[in-house]
Amino acid sequence: MAKTLFEKIWESHVVLDEGNGRSLLYVDRHLVHEVTSPQAFDGLRMNHRRVRRPDLTFATMDHNVPTDNRSLPIVDQTSGMQIRALERNCSEFGVRLFGMDSPDQGIVHVIGPELGITIPGSTIVCGDSHTSTHGAFGALAFGIGTSDVEHVLATQCIWMDKPETFEIRVEGRRRNPHAVTAKDIMLSIIRRIGTGGGTGTTFEYRGDAISELSMEQRMTICNMSIEGGARAGLVAPDEKTFDYLRGRRYLPEKFDDMVEYWRENLKTDGNAAFDRCFTIHVDDIAPQVSWGTNPAMTVDVTGRVPFPSEYAGGFPGEEKAAEKALQYMGLKPGTPITEIHVDRVFIGSCTNSRLEDLVEAAKVVRGRKVSQGVRAMVVPGSQHVKRQAEDLGLDRVFKDAGFEWRESGCSMCLGMNPDILASGERCASTSNRNFEGRQGTGGRTHLVSPVMAAAAAIAGHFVDVREMGLT
Amino acid sequence: MKGSAIKYEKDNIDTDVILPGPYLKIHDYNELAKHAMEGLDRDFHKKVKPGDFIVAGRNFGCGSSREHAPIALSYSGIKAVVAVSFARIFYRNAVDGAFLLPIEVEEETYRDISDGDELELETAKNEIRNLTKNKTYRMKPFPDLIGKIIEAGGLFNYRP
Repeated sequence: MAKTLFEKIWESHVVLDEGNGRSLLYVDRHLVHEVTSPQAFDGLRMNHRRVRRPDLTFATMDHNVPTDNRSLPIVDQTSGMQIRALERNCSEFGVRLFGMDSPDQGIVHVIGPELGITIPGSTIVCGDSHTSTHGAFGALAFGIGTSDVEHVLATQCIWMDKPETFEIRVEGRRRNPHAVTAKDIMLSIIRRIGTGGGTGTTFEYRGDAISELSMEQRMTICNMSIEGGARAGLVAPDEKTFDYLRGRRYLPEKFDDMVEYWRENLKTDGNAAFDRCFTIHVDDIAPQVSWGTNPAMTVDVTGRVPFPSEYAGGFPGEEKAAEKALQYMGLKPGTPITEIHVDRVFIGSCTNSRLEDLVEAAKVVRGRKVSQGVRAMVVPGSQHVKRQAEDLGLDRVFKDAGFEWRESGCSMCLGMNPDILASGERCASTSNRNFEGRQGTGGRTHLVSPVMAAAAAIAGHFVDVREMGLT
Repeated sequence: MKGSAIKYEKDNIDTDVILPGPYLKIHDYNELAKHAMEGLDRDFHKKVKPGDFIVAGRNFGCGSSREHAPIALSYSGIKAVVAVSFARIFYRNAVDGAFLLPIEVEEETYRDISDGDELELETAKNEIRNLTKNKTYRMKPFPDLIGKIIEAGGLFNYRP
């Protein structure tokens, strides 16, 4: 029977099938960070359990870590406690940790692929919703809560109800892929299917416009699958995937043999059926800017802040939500997006903090200055990304323009570390969520691509980067 | 299971408003509870009573995988969230630690329930009774695994 890529990976990991899709799945890689793991380790301790497969478990610290001077003590005591708890737990349970001082430290979804921990056809879990990122490699990767983290630590397995399959077909060719990025494709998709559009499903991104993306761009797409409600997002691996991975540190020994197998098997069969389908053509999409308080509240940069009635399209609940969002965001309907001024710019997060993101943003910044009154920062996703960028001289490009160049971590994506917005501050952010208070209480987030964020830093307001002649 | 409805006429109530990020560093569950729903309703902790239900629209609990969200609601007294739909990580987290029951209902049911209505939940019959309005609604049956975990009293008690 013809099968989808999802079904093939799922079936190859079922340890126990209880019927009705209720399955116990084997977990190939477990990624752990400091925020969602302390209670899980406490649970193990209380029940006198050990970590079943420390060799398949990898930990780092990213959510809490300060991104300024790492040689100073951590000021926030509770953050310090979570970080020390992870250090203690990893040493007690024999789990490999890329800690604060490690040259491999970084955002968990940046370092997984970069260290070759993420491999095609595997199952990956992490106590973080953006685990979907790893799907870019054809890995079935789920975000889970702390109870499931404990369950996986103890058993290396997870109970799951089988999600439905949802084909996201991305067709066409962008006129200028340097100006209209993977982020713009993904925001365009979420805008159309809604934040709950993929609830209970796994996306598989297919089509010419996906094949042409680099691995880093595919990661940006898969990262935000959760913002469309999906449990996971997949892209079938191809030569780009294998080339990206070759030579990375934690790959299995028989990598080349595995590539043979992956090439042959990790794809959706020609006549396989998906439970649901959605197609988007990218030929004419514009750079996207979110105006509201969820990622579906997004318009073209050439557009205006919508009137609630126009956004709602006849759904009264949506109209109220839009009114409330506009109030929170301090925006007037009808305002051209390019007239929205920003106070802060954040280039970073597991969505957009990889080398290519920084290379592209630097093209916009080179030889220019950050607009007066704007505070802009670049937070590389990992220490590796940071060093690679510095080797290319990107740190100088950003610093000369007036950007802060920081240490790696989640930073201003989620308001858990010192990098936050003050109430009322408006930020062009390359992160993934514009929820109320996400970047700090009262902070106002506009989700954009790295080049759009960089351009907003220079101009002080949003601009259409298609007019910048980026190549 | 009986309780009164605390209703939010809102879709997409995300985990960042259910429990804002800065509180993810708190390990004491009763302390977490003091910040439940803080991003949406600063008075929540004053009005919630043990046994209350939250009633909301579509895609409740979207966003982060933080189990702190259902924990904070649970320790503030919430026994069930009645919503048109749930984001899947929240849905699972709610039952894994037997924190609260995530009950899915039709859009009309959500619209019909008013803030303060007395509700009685009978999951064995897939029914919700509105004692204030003297009406009975259907709840959607739990998916297979979620139902089994609830029956067992949490993930760690579940045996295949």
